[in-house]
Amino acid sequence: MLTFAFRKVLTLVGTMIGIAALTFVITNVAPGDPARLVAGPNATEDMVATIRTEYGLDKSLPEQFVVYMGDLVTGDLGQSIVTTRPVLEEVLRYAPATLELVFVAMTLGIVVGVPLGMLSAVYKDGPIDHATRIFSISGVALPAFWFGIILQLTFAVDLGWLPVSGRLPLVTRPPQTITGLLLVDSLFAGRLDTFWISLRHIILPAIVLSFPCLASILRVNRAEMIEVLQSDYIVAARAHGIASFRIVAIYALKNALLPTLAMIGLRFGWMLGSTVLVETVFDWPGIGLYAVSSALSSDFKPVIGVTLVIGFFFIVANTLVDLAYAWIDPRLRSA
Amino acid sequence: MFGKTLRIVAVAGLLASSILASPAGAFERTDKGNVIVFGGRQAIPVLDPHVRYDWSTRMIQQSVYDALVKYEGNPAEIKSWLAEKWETSADGKSWTFHLAKNAKFHNGDPVTAEAVRYSFERGLKLNKGVAWMLKDFLAPENIVAVDANTVRFDLKAPYAPFLSFLPWWYIVNPAEVKAHEVDGDYGQKWLTDHAAGSGPFKLGRWEPNVLYEIEANDTYWKGWPQGEKNRPAGVIYKIIREPAAQKAALQRGEADIVEGLTPDDYIQIKRVPGVVIEDHKGMTTFGIKFNTQKGPTADINLRKAIAYAVDYDALIQIYNGAASLESSPLPDAMKGFVSVPGIPRKDLAKAKEYLAKSAYPNGGITLPYVHVAGLEEARRIGLVLLDNLKELGITVEVKPEQWPNMVAAGSKVETSPAMTSVFTTPVSTDPDAVAYQYHKASWGQYYAMMFYDNPKVSEMIDQARAATNWDDRAKLYADIQKQIVADQPEVFGMLQNRRWAHRDYLQGFQFSPVRFTGEVDLYPMWVKAE
Amino acid sequence: MTTPVELSRPLTFRERHESKIRQWRLYAHMFGKSFSSMLGLGLVVLFLLLAALGPWLAPYPEDTVGAFNMANKLMGPSVGHWFGTDEMGSDILSRVIIGARTSLWIGLIITGVGAVIGVPLGIIAGYRGGWVRAVIMRITELFLAVPGLALALAIVAALGPGITNCVLALSLVWWPGYVRLVEAKTLSVKEELFVESARSIGAKTPWILWHHILPNCMSPIIVKMSMDMGMAILSAASLGFIGLGAQPPAPEWGAMISVARTYMPDWWWYSLFPGAAIFLTVLGFNLLGDGLRDILDPRSRDR
Repeated sequence: MLTFAFRKVLTLVGTMIGIAALTFVITNVAPGDPARLVAGPNATEDMVATIRTEYGLDKSLPEQFVVYMGDLVTGDLGQSIVTTRPVLEEVLRYAPATLELVFVAMTLGIVVGVPLGMLSAVYKDGPIDHATRIFSISGVALPAFWFGIILQLTFAVDLGWLPVSGRLPLVTRPPQTITGLLLVDSLFAGRLDTFWISLRHIILPAIVLSFPCLASILRVNRAEMIEVLQSDYIVAARAHGIASFRIVAIYALKNALLPTLAMIGLRFGWMLGSTVLVETVFDWPGIGLYAVSSALSSDFKPVIGVTLVIGFFFIVANTLVDLAYAWIDPRLRSA
Repeated sequence: MFGKTLRIVAVAGLLASSILASPAGAFERTDKGNVIVFGGRQAIPVLDPHVRYDWSTRMIQQSVYDALVKYEGNPAEIKSWLAEKWETSADGKSWTFHLAKNAKFHNGDPVTAEAVRYSFERGLKLNKGVAWMLKDFLAPENIVAVDANTVRFDLKAPYAPFLSFLPWWYIVNPAEVKAHEVDGDYGQKWLTDHAAGSGPFKLGRWEPNVLYEIEANDTYWKGWPQGEKNRPAGVIYKIIREPAAQKAALQRGEADIVEGLTPDDYIQIKRVPGVVIEDHKGMTTFGIKFNTQKGPTADINLRKAIAYAVDYDALIQIYNGAASLESSPLPDAMKGFVSVPGIPRKDLAKAKEYLAKSAYPNGGITLPYVHVAGLEEARRIGLVLLDNLKELGITVEVKPEQWPNMVAAGSKVETSPAMTSVFTTPVSTDPDAVAYQYHKASWGQYYAMMFYDNPKVSEMIDQARAATNWDDRAKLYADIQKQIVADQPEVFGMLQNRRWAHRDYLQGFQFSPVRFTGEVDLYPMWVKAE
Repeated sequence: MTTPVELSRPLTFRERHESKIRQWRLYAHMFGKSFSSMLGLGLVVLFLLLAALGPWLAPYPEDTVGAFNMANKLMGPSVGHWFGTDEMGSDILSRVIIGARTSLWIGLIITGVGAVIGVPLGIIAGYRGGWVRAVIMRITELFLAVPGLALALAIVAALGPGITNCVLALSLVWWPGYVRLVEAKTLSVKEELFVESARSIGAKTPWILWHHILPNCMSPIIVKMSMDMGMAILSAASLGFIGLGAQPPAPEWGAMISVARTYMPDWWWYSLFPGAAIFLTVLGFNLLGDGLRDILDPRSRDR
């Protein structure tokens, strides 16, 4: 088990380096000139050159690549040319907002997806099954950006029930940063009102983000439940006259939960990727918004940095899923 | 139907909303007083006054720093500020400034001649941001602190526009900056999100990409124009990226003033009670720059044909009437402006006449029109152009580009597109700020994408720069304007109005055309409580 | 017992393909019974019809190539303009209809390029094994480790906005999915008896790949391509929304919403209809793919 885990970690490191190299190459294929952007519209050629030198952009691409990869090994993600700050520092500043959003969305996805999956497994091929199928596929098909706007329009602008965007209103000073997750920090600080306010801010973006992953959770849960419900011991349990509800809720669900959890792990990284859209719509100050605004100003170090961080979480989630499986089923360790 | 249903649901939900939502709260009240909330779209990544300046950055810089002089009013005039008075030597090369003796930095240090010298040296040596304005005429070693309150600048050559740039050179406190210097960086790292100024505000909360707060300086050396009683406790500059969200914030009273609504939004929001629209003629010119050196547009007849084919009224319609046509390369509010007679307006007969004289009498060519990606008005102007040039048999390809890529392409004759849409905001009220864009020495800059080359014009611009007498300069600039229009290096477009929407209780708004689009002088503003 | 006379008569098409026809009948029956599959098929057919007949169906076809009429701008839905007009006074219905063509084009290219790159790589990796497989799969996993949209965003940002770059970027991130799918399938097929026997009688590798491996991978590929049509259209629209995708006057739904969102909420129809068009199209392709999977590839469902 230990060597298996070790091998996985090695793969993780290898993949991270690979992603860094990949994104570096990709973002440098085109002749974008971020130095000119930050130098200002009237800057003379030598002023632009000053900035290029400062950020090492005057070096040849292979040289820049070597420098970048060298820094990366020491945990340095480079410097944003727009904000002049280290990318790592900025990513760490924006990451909690994104993680908070993803966690809430994930919770929503599980809370809605698992019961719906159970329902459609029990009533397989019935109207409920068809309805949930269309519902879940709709979730995948909804353009997140459009859905977000429609929700804003309805619940924030027209009804005025929820805030339009952002994490907190202006007057509310954020609680002391412990985890960076406002929902958690406000509870630590004992500020229930702040907790309530930030919860209201997170609802709409979390709903939008949760929809596609809700669909996957639902499907996996349904399929596993169907399989489990047809297995011998459930049939036996039924024969013994154990109430249907107990069978489904306890025996079957327990067995279907692991693949569902695996799917949740796999969806985690994917969700981080789609925060790019959701955060843009809701002005959510997370890494997705940071990546988009950096990409739009050709500031590529942050783009690579965010891609790396997302890739990192994605691979870690996958690795954890693999490890969990391997722990349960030793045969998989040789794979 | 959808909207109506929503509204019905909204009425039904009113009860619930009154429980759930906090009512519109107007400006923020704190125990120190009222805090004005400004909703803007653009972040402030780097506050350092010698490193960056865009509209949002400069709005805060102007609030926390002071300069020797300051632009105020419409038309913009240079007012004495840290410098109480100044004089120029007869040859126009030496400028001497006498500083106010009571000016104090936020930490209590006096603003001395040495601080001024250090600040200019810092700006020039960093060679970033504002450096381009003065670097060709001023060397760091030629700034002399004569005594504690007198500073002298010895220019390399007489440079008439010198004073017009000084409002953008903010004075930092050398003691504080030096204390935070890392590896000889002139305190750049620290000044990114700190300030060492003497201005009417101090920095408060600084949450990048979310909000930036400035707090009123209780002991501002120049006092407050609205009176000590009325002055706000501070201003929060809140990032609201979407125009729709800006509008909603203003309507709900979550923001007191917003910029950057769409032209149609301004029409709508005007009807909302309690909202005031500021609508002023700006100095930002719009031109469709031709590549005058290479490709079909090197042909002046083709350029003229295009200029006569453009539907200029549509340019105004795009702004819902909140714009005016250019009648010269210079904006109206600039010194030395003359309206050039015969500047092209839509005249299809004339357009066809010129087209017949060109190398493409029947059109049949495709020309790119490049604009900055995401600039909505530029995109729509592209659609207008596309439609208009169909009549000449010219196909237009509307191509958005990222700003850096567009500038990179425009820096060389070979790659500069046939037509590029460029908005330019002059940084000073001196005509040189615009005229110099047509000087051959500007080639390579984004505003010189037309690679305009008329030796006579370049020569006149040089003469006007060095002349110390205004009447001589005015005459030269009149000729320059006429000649540029005759050569048609671009389609002269319109000047869009600068607009803001604010709540009616917000007082003290002062427009000055020399500020950037969106930028507001926060110093005189206050909230009139009912 | 057959007589020589009967043998000499050439078999009719029906006779030759009798078992196949029966199988397809069964498929059609199963498919027809599923409401969601039929809904998907209906939506896809509608979408294809719009794409094919767009220029004849659109009430104001000139509005989709850059014509404008500022006097009519931002008018709500009416008899003359069912979906209202946009900020240039163009008819939104016409632009939505013509947008179907743009979307079809985008979807076809992205999934096509994805499959053309991914399928051969997957087959080679699965069939050859060894270091070839290791190299191909490592690279594939690298791409799969980053959410496609984030990677595509980086590529388009570097290349510059525009529909061509957007399609190029998405094609570049789309192929790894096919490699993984086809590689897994090839691995299982190549151990099957009929492949072994073909090899033992001396069949050449390309022949085996073409006649045995590829046909057996077809079902999951078709299912995936159907699903991907929808997802590719959605991704392209997403990039269009961020402002990096299709550009005017080309009517593309995502780009329309990107402009339209600044006109919220007072001009709600402007973003509502293009959004609904994206939603229904993607929904159609996904339901269709889902239905196809149920009949063509029941085992892989939910994996």
